[in-house]
Amino acid sequence: MQLMVEARNLRKTYKRPDGSTIEAVKGVDLEIRQGEIFSLLGPNGAGKTTTISMISGLVEPTGGDATIGGYSITKEPMAAKRLMGFVPQEIALYPELSARQNLAFFGRMYGLGGKELSRRVDELLEFVDLSDRQNDRIDTFSGGMKRRINLAAGLLNSPPLIYMDEPTVGIDPQSRRRILDTVKLLREEQGMTVLYTTHLMEEAQELSDRVGIMDHGEIIAIGTQTELTQQVGEEDRLEFIIGAQEFEESLAEGIQQETAGVTRILYNPPEQVSDDSSESTPSRLTVFAKRGRTALPQLIQNLDAAGVEIQSVAVREPDLEAVFLALTGRALRD
Amino acid sequence: MRKILAFASKELYTAFRDRNLALLMFVTPLVLSTIIGLAFGGIGGNGDSGLPDFADIPVAVVNLDEGVDMQEVITLPDQFADLDALPFDPGDLASAFTQAGVGPDQLSQDGTALNFGDQLAAILLSQQVEGTGTTTTEGFDLTELGCSLLDDSESAAPPAVASQGSLEDLLNATAMDDAEQARAAVDNGEFVAAVIVPPAFSKRVMPKFAFDDNLTLRAQSPGDGGTVEVYANNGRPVSARILHSIVSGIVNQFVRAGVALGATLETSANALANGIVEGEIDLGAVDLSALPTSLQNLNAAALEPLGCLITPGANNITAAQPPLEPIQEAPRFARTIVPIGASQAVFFALFTGVFGIHSIYEERKYWTLQRLIVSPTPRIFLLAGKLLGNLVTVFLQILILLAALTLIASVVIGQPTLIWGTNFAAIIIVTLALALCVSGLGVFVVGLAKTPEQVNLFGPMINISLAVVGGAFGFALPDQAARFSLIYWGVDAFMQLANAQTGIAVNLLVLFGQGILLFLVGTWLFKRRLDL
Repeated sequence: MQLMVEARNLRKTYKRPDGSTIEAVKGVDLEIRQGEIFSLLGPNGAGKTTTISMISGLVEPTGGDATIGGYSITKEPMAAKRLMGFVPQEIALYPELSARQNLAFFGRMYGLGGKELSRRVDELLEFVDLSDRQNDRIDTFSGGMKRRINLAAGLLNSPPLIYMDEPTVGIDPQSRRRILDTVKLLREEQGMTVLYTTHLMEEAQELSDRVGIMDHGEIIAIGTQTELTQQVGEEDRLEFIIGAQEFEESLAEGIQQETAGVTRILYNPPEQVSDDSSESTPSRLTVFAKRGRTALPQLIQNLDAAGVEIQSVAVREPDLEAVFLALTGRALRD
Repeated sequence: MRKILAFASKELYTAFRDRNLALLMFVTPLVLSTIIGLAFGGIGGNGDSGLPDFADIPVAVVNLDEGVDMQEVITLPDQFADLDALPFDPGDLASAFTQAGVGPDQLSQDGTALNFGDQLAAILLSQQVEGTGTTTTEGFDLTELGCSLLDDSESAAPPAVASQGSLEDLLNATAMDDAEQARAAVDNGEFVAAVIVPPAFSKRVMPKFAFDDNLTLRAQSPGDGGTVEVYANNGRPVSARILHSIVSGIVNQFVRAGVALGATLETSANALANGIVEGEIDLGAVDLSALPTSLQNLNAAALEPLGCLITPGANNITAAQPPLEPIQEAPRFARTIVPIGASQAVFFALFTGVFGIHSIYEERKYWTLQRLIVSPTPRIFLLAGKLLGNLVTVFLQILILLAALTLIASVVIGQPTLIWGTNFAAIIIVTLALALCVSGLGVFVVGLAKTPEQVNLFGPMINISLAVVGGAFGFALPDQAARFSLIYWGVDAFMQLANAQTGIAVNLLVLFGQGILLFLVGTWLFKRRLDL
């Protein structure tokens, strides 16, 4: 299948005020096929937005290059940009302009004009189901409505490729559902290639044909969901919320040896929620086991015998969260 | 280009749709200008119509008149050498001179060139006239002018003028030698006007006569020149007009004298010629050189009987005065609001200039800039659109403020008044030059500042400094300092246009030059703000 996006050794280094440098993206290689939904998954600060900014021509790479439909984003930026639409995380609209005026303005910046522009604006307003509010100012819209117009603005030039940078941040479940359905529709009905970034595993799982997992400026795993979960095996995850006591490493080793099917135990100590808060997250134990439900009774018994106060337990099937946890030793939400 | 225009249009639309911005751009300067204008210019009425304005009007008098030699007034033909050829009765000539009030005793006195300029200057200066005969000019009675000092339209003035019985009370005249110095003194406001009597004034009043081939006496064309100039100060138009009327009245009396003498000479020519031919008049006994001295004693009353002899247009002389444009005749409020309104308009436009460009930070904050950068639009187009939008916004702001101030002034005065003058093309060019300068400064300030906070701090500081130096806050610094402010150059240009003057080339040069320089440097600095 033909490649829509190809990135080679993309790097971005920023200079700090004190003169030191920070490498936000460390040589990313990426291939996205035409017509697929590709998600970049990773915690906040992993480098997803910087990567997508370089591929979209928003930020100049420190090194490497990316091509869109065969056009280099550094050498033929205008040709590359004509093939893409952009839906940023922020509501990139003029609040004092109406929905229609916003779409018309950005449409002109994509070279549209006259009847073609008017027709396209009408289509998109209908597509996001906001025709009846087209003449209202954006600052009178709800968060979900703004997100929909934000999405429509990225589709003005009917691009074969669209970047969506965490488009569901900060909206209600109903609006979120609508946006996820829209993304699927774009691929299914228009054959659009979608590059989607998120830190929500559920979104990546629901939408993506393939997923790239990013952490600390690097893609640490890439593939279909099946391929990724196979990387961590067929293990279930047993997540225990425990009392605030210390959990020593030797204790974990003992329980692992004494409980059949358990392959690994990770301990996450309590952490302060924020600097100005006295609240802290609970202590967590994540236990990887071949047949989690079978191992659970004995595991509870052993933990109890070791004096661990169990507050709750959940059994999870293999998923992207597990992959991330297995690869980084941290949960996505961390 | 379409993308640049689209961006500029969006800038314009958002600027003019923003109510808070409109308050800053339009309402505040208009309210301030009106309040200050009313405080200093008053409501309605003509500020130049008060009684104090019509007493001791400072006037410069420059008399350059070279006079006219009366012996040269009549050129005798060669045939007069043969007295037998003379064609008129000399008794008629004597009679004519007697009728003109020029008796044989006066004709016999020694005299030099006749100088009507001296006479005019003496009247204006309320001095005694050097020479024989009685003094008639001191305490010149204004009723002798026989003309109205003001037009009917300037009806506010006559009562004040009527109360002035004497020219000495009305004018505070100073004699000067140099016309240019006098004009400069008027420009500086030292005098309301300068009366400049040209070298050929007397020659114009008393043209030469010559006999034609048929030995008939004919007046010679006086030629060009000889017009008395009243160089008026634009700030005191009514006072200047009064002076103009006075000078016109006096000059017309001289004209009547000249015409009367000419007519007498013409009608007596045949008789005189015949008398000489027949030997009844001894030409050598007629001392024409005494005539000037006698003429110096002319006064309005003595000339009155000859007034009927005036032939309109024969050698009529008018006192020239630069045409008065509406603003020069406008009430004080209009003249007050011009500098105040112009300076306030430019001052508030400075804020639009800085904060219009500053909005790039807002675009960045709300990610609209990022969305634009990701579109297939070169960054230079975005930059050009931003700057063009700001330039047009500032241009329209100043233009709208000028129009609104015209409206306010017209309402306050009670009649439509074009306070900025009628040279609309020049008004638009000055506004464009100012907009370029203001917008260029905005680009420069935002380009120079490293953060939005720095713009918020330094932008108003620079604007207020320029306003203080440029005289926008009601007090003026010395010209040398004020010239550093674009407000000075803008306001000065508008003042000149309001006063129907056209010497704004330097202003335009400074404003366009400064604007282009600021724009170029500012753009070079500002383009970094588009890097993310």
